[in-house]
Amino acid sequence: MDRLLAIKDLHVGFRIFEGHLRVLNGVHLDVKEGERVGLVGETGCGKTTTVKSVLRVLPMPPSEITGGEIIYKGKDILTMTRRQMAMLRRHELTAIFQDPLQSLNPVFTVGTQLRDIVKDSAIGRKHRLTRRDVEARCLQALRETGMPDPERIMTNYPAQLSGGMRQRICIAEALSTNANLLLADEPTTNLDVTIQDQILRKLDELVEEKGASVVVITHSMGVVRDLTQRVNIMYAGAIVETGDTRTLLETPKHPYTRGLMASVPKLTGEGISEGIPGRIPNYLDPPAGCRFHPRCEHCMEICTSTSPPFYETGDEQSVACYLYRRES
Amino acid sequence: MSEVPILGVDRLVKHFPTKAGVVRAVDDITFDVSMGDTLGLVGESGSGKTTTAQCVLGIYPPTSGRIAFEGAPIGVMFNRRNRELKRKIRIVFQDPGSSLNPKRTIKQILSVPLKVHGMGTPRERLSMMSRLLEMVELPPAEYLYKHPQAIGGGEKQMVAIARALATNPRFIVLDEPTSALDVSVQGKIINLLMRLAEELDLTYLFITHDLSLMRNVATRVAIMYLGKLCEIARTEEFFRSPLHPYTKMLLSSIPVVSAEEEELKPSKIVSQGEIPSPVDVPPGCSFHLRCPEKMPVCSQRDPEMRPLGDGHVVRCHLFGEPSGGSAPGDLE
Repeated sequence: MDRLLAIKDLHVGFRIFEGHLRVLNGVHLDVKEGERVGLVGETGCGKTTTVKSVLRVLPMPPSEITGGEIIYKGKDILTMTRRQMAMLRRHELTAIFQDPLQSLNPVFTVGTQLRDIVKDSAIGRKHRLTRRDVEARCLQALRETGMPDPERIMTNYPAQLSGGMRQRICIAEALSTNANLLLADEPTTNLDVTIQDQILRKLDELVEEKGASVVVITHSMGVVRDLTQRVNIMYAGAIVETGDTRTLLETPKHPYTRGLMASVPKLTGEGISEGIPGRIPNYLDPPAGCRFHPRCEHCMEICTSTSPPFYETGDEQSVACYLYRRES
Repeated sequence: MSEVPILGVDRLVKHFPTKAGVVRAVDDITFDVSMGDTLGLVGESGSGKTTTAQCVLGIYPPTSGRIAFEGAPIGVMFNRRNRELKRKIRIVFQDPGSSLNPKRTIKQILSVPLKVHGMGTPRERLSMMSRLLEMVELPPAEYLYKHPQAIGGGEKQMVAIARALATNPRFIVLDEPTSALDVSVQGKIINLLMRLAEELDLTYLFITHDLSLMRNVATRVAIMYLGKLCEIARTEEFFRSPLHPYTKMLLSSIPVVSAEEEELKPSKIVSQGEIPSPVDVPPGCSFHLRCPEKMPVCSQRDPEMRPLGDGHVVRCHLFGEPSGGSAPGDLE
């Protein structure tokens, strides 16, 4: 499989009154053609910042990209012109955000918003869309997400629909443009489990059908297991572990991943661990070396000074932790 | 378990009249909580979990039905309850960010329940507050004079728990206490709550939408759907043999993290449809529109709660119908 997206050593910071927040601290992430990748981490670890950097929708200022590159199909997104970027967003990238109430405009009908997206995505393509084509594409997109009565939904405002319906509309919008890479930022976090199940199944089907690559951001290990082939665990602005989803969830290597997995309540009823002591570091003054070291029970001398590189642990799993350094 | 339940809810109904019609938030539910138990009240959003809790607390007066605490009826508004009752029943809310006053220090926040209930002299209160913070594992010297915004989400929730404990309660309503928190923090809060329950002999009504969490925390689980209870059972029994189709749908929808857990889920029931509006509840069984095992009778008659022994109660036409329904044993 060819590499579609490669994020290399991405550093992103925010300049605020108190100083410089160093949030992303060397993120490495690969997405291959047609692959589904999960990005998991706790609140405030920089998942959304990563995705927003890829889409280049981070507000600048206060944010600034201080290093690294984001290569999409061989070109660096960070050096693209505004026009190239617009074309990329029209044809190649698409996103679903967590809160559909915020990503849908409350004063326009669903139809207006959906038509705008379909029309916009046709700019720069060979085929011109007639008004009838646009209408058909919109209805088709809504129908694909399992929405009953799409004609009526098109005339509704977002506030008239339930949470599950709104999220379906966001999915319909994201998938109506036949993009190559879908960035789904917590697509089901606000939904009930039965609705989440429906939405994930639909997303799964549609992505399969269209052959798009997906990056799913979530903090739910269960969702990642259902939806992705490869998973990246993120902590405090860096990927700490990556690997095949099932293998990684069964044999987590990094102390952080292990702590996280032990904290997930399980149906087997074996109780819940005490969690991980401490909390995510202050980005104004992050700890030197491995950013997890103040919370880590295996902390060694070297962890406090230099941040660890990735070590292969076999089975395409690699871990950024000195515990897995091979003696040479 | 003792004989008299600490909380008894009998045919509780709470309707809210609105312009669009009557919202049947809680519609005839009956359950009780025994001393020392943790009852997990689980349901999707809009199923009436929080309204039930708020009726127990007296934030709303029930439309009809009885609520009894330690055998005495308490179905009245908060402002008509005596202080002793308010001391015994406390609540921890979902989002500690909005349930703690951002302009007050933690000391001020914790002193309110002590003052209201006239506990201790001003000087004694300081040591009481320190002890409360120690109970929730926050070093008092460090936290007493901080504002909520200066501490993390998990720590805020611990302060909220300390505030609930301030009056030596017997019964605490936990309204989704960890759903705003990360899993690594959730573990700590849950373990703390469980330890406190044992040490202080507390009884919890634990409201949540997370069934996997309930598996590890509750002694009994009750499932709510559209203002009604579907099923109540002891936790092991509940997860070993769920009976109501809605329960099975819920359980099979949980995303799990290991193959072991996958085996514990009932065979896949494809979830369909959404929870209808509580203004416009479908006739008969309110779940029949989404139910995979729907029968003609379901759209006509609302099933009754049927005890099936060992505290397992189900409200579904599939079970124990006198006229030709299947016996609970020979399902599937």
